[in-house]
Amino acid sequence: MLTLSNVTKHYKMGDSVVRALDGISLTIDEGDFTAIVGPSGSGKSTLMNIIGCLDIVTDGEYVLNQIPIKKYEEDELAEIRNKQIGFVFQQFNLLPSFSALENVMMPMTYARVPKKQREKIAAEILTKVGLGDRMDHKPTELSGGQQQRVSIARALANNPAIILADEPTGALDQKTGKEVLDLLTQLNKQGKTVIVITHDVGVAAYASRILTIRDGKIVDDSRKEADHV
Amino acid sequence: MFKEYFSIAWRSVVAHKIRALLTTLGVVIGVSSVILLLSLGNSAKAEAANQIRAIGSNLIIVRVTDRNGVLPTIWLDELKDSGKLAAYSEIISGNTSYVVNGQNFDVSVSGVNQDYGFVSSLELTSGRFLSQIDLDNNLPVVVIGPKVAEKLFPLTDAVGETMVIQGVQFRVIGILTERGTNFNGDLDATAYIPIDFAGTLFPYRLNSKTYYLASETEDTVATSMRKIESYLTSVLPSANEFNVFSQSQILGVMNTLMGLLTTLLAGIASISLIVGGIGIMNIMLVTVRERTREIGVRKALGAKRSQILIQFLIEAVIITTLGGLIGLGVSYVGAAIIQYLSDFKVTVGLDSVFLSLIFSITIGVVFGIYPANKASQLEPVDALRYE
Repeated sequence: MLTLSNVTKHYKMGDSVVRALDGISLTIDEGDFTAIVGPSGSGKSTLMNIIGCLDIVTDGEYVLNQIPIKKYEEDELAEIRNKQIGFVFQQFNLLPSFSALENVMMPMTYARVPKKQREKIAAEILTKVGLGDRMDHKPTELSGGQQQRVSIARALANNPAIILADEPTGALDQKTGKEVLDLLTQLNKQGKTVIVITHDVGVAAYASRILTIRDGKIVDDSRKEADHV
Repeated sequence: MFKEYFSIAWRSVVAHKIRALLTTLGVVIGVSSVILLLSLGNSAKAEAANQIRAIGSNLIIVRVTDRNGVLPTIWLDELKDSGKLAAYSEIISGNTSYVVNGQNFDVSVSGVNQDYGFVSSLELTSGRFLSQIDLDNNLPVVVIGPKVAEKLFPLTDAVGETMVIQGVQFRVIGILTERGTNFNGDLDATAYIPIDFAGTLFPYRLNSKTYYLASETEDTVATSMRKIESYLTSVLPSANEFNVFSQSQILGVMNTLMGLLTTLLAGIASISLIVGGIGIMNIMLVTVRERTREIGVRKALGAKRSQILIQFLIEAVIITTLGGLIGLGVSYVGAAIIQYLSDFKVTVGLDSVFLSLIFSITIGVVFGIYPANKASQLEPVDALRYE
């Protein structure tokens, strides 16, 4: 599904160079549920940005779905993000003046899906995540858990192969957090490749594979044989 | 796709109604003042053209200030016979005053011949104009303007009544239609008498002579004028002693002047359009900054640079177009108010509608492009991190 070979990412901070990623190599297969765990400053957010095509590597190689992401034009990266990756953010990042339905429709707008079809698909997905009766609500009229479910629905809009979730439970209480993780697990079982970035070991426990990252390097890669539930 | 951009942009304009409204104010003021000034200028031009056309565009006016400078009747008749002139009349004018209801009422009295009515395109509401017989016999008859009739004979039909001009009794034989006011003064407070009478009533006027000549057609005006000029140059010592000008020349000069004035004023007014545009740019920059996170989210979810650019550009254009439409409305109201207060006819034409739309869209694009471009160039990673 995706392969990183010896990936480094450097940032300039004033005069000094920060090595956010320092020679990362990993492969994530289709259908995996992977957690990338590490303390803040470990480089896990940078790794997520690279995997999500929000940023490009300084050195090394990143191949996503057989597409080498290196010197891509911004517009091409936008298209890859649009079609291949579904983002779930810690702060949900829903647009406040749009309804749940419209928020879910947004990625499809950029994919030039006709309006009728967008509405139909968005409604279907929202129903699937259990918000069939909340479609016309604005984000502020929804609870945190509901908002995160809307954003998961949005991530599913263009039917991407990968769901990339950055601290998806970070802004939720334990109970709703669990609901969201259950939803992600369910999606994984339906065939989606799920990658969760977190500092929370409890969240990582839902994954079948845990990659631990520290100081820009992978320090541990453990797979769990049996399901946690 | 355009529809989507439009609806996204429209949503965010509506989400900040008051801000959008205040932002449009500059454009509203700019557009309405430009449109209003242009309309005023055009109306003034049309008004002047109408007045002059009413007098007749075939008209040539000759003024001679030398005592010896005369356009001899024989020479003029020759011109007339050769088909260059339709008619001519010498004119001697003076003023006479009446007291009506304790108020002074000035009447401009002109001595003319029987052809003057044709030369100046005069029309009558009743009675008749001066005739050959009146002229030949130097009869004390007068044709008066509607205001004279109204003031001096408020209760009766003026035709057949007598009025006194400079101590001489005249019989009213005709009343003219209303013509309004032009650069020659009030055309309705006039009286026309046989020319020889005027010569005796206003002898000091004999020092200079004025002729009104009607060219056969509008096209022969120029050739007739040249004929007259060369004749007068041959009999008079200096070209300073006479001048020959046509009604269409006056019209041309007035049009040029009025056009210049209109352009100048509209130019000054358009400065406010630029100021309005800067206001739009300012607000759009604030909007882009405020919505950095939204831009980040949109980019993360697949929005291309151009799509973000268009979204914000359309937003700016929506705001300015809204301003333009409101401005257009304001100029309609303004025109109505001016018309009501001054009874000067001001019409905001269809061209103004297009002009205001073009103006406001252009302002939106010109001043919206920089903020929109700024929005489109935000890096998604940075934009998502923005609080």
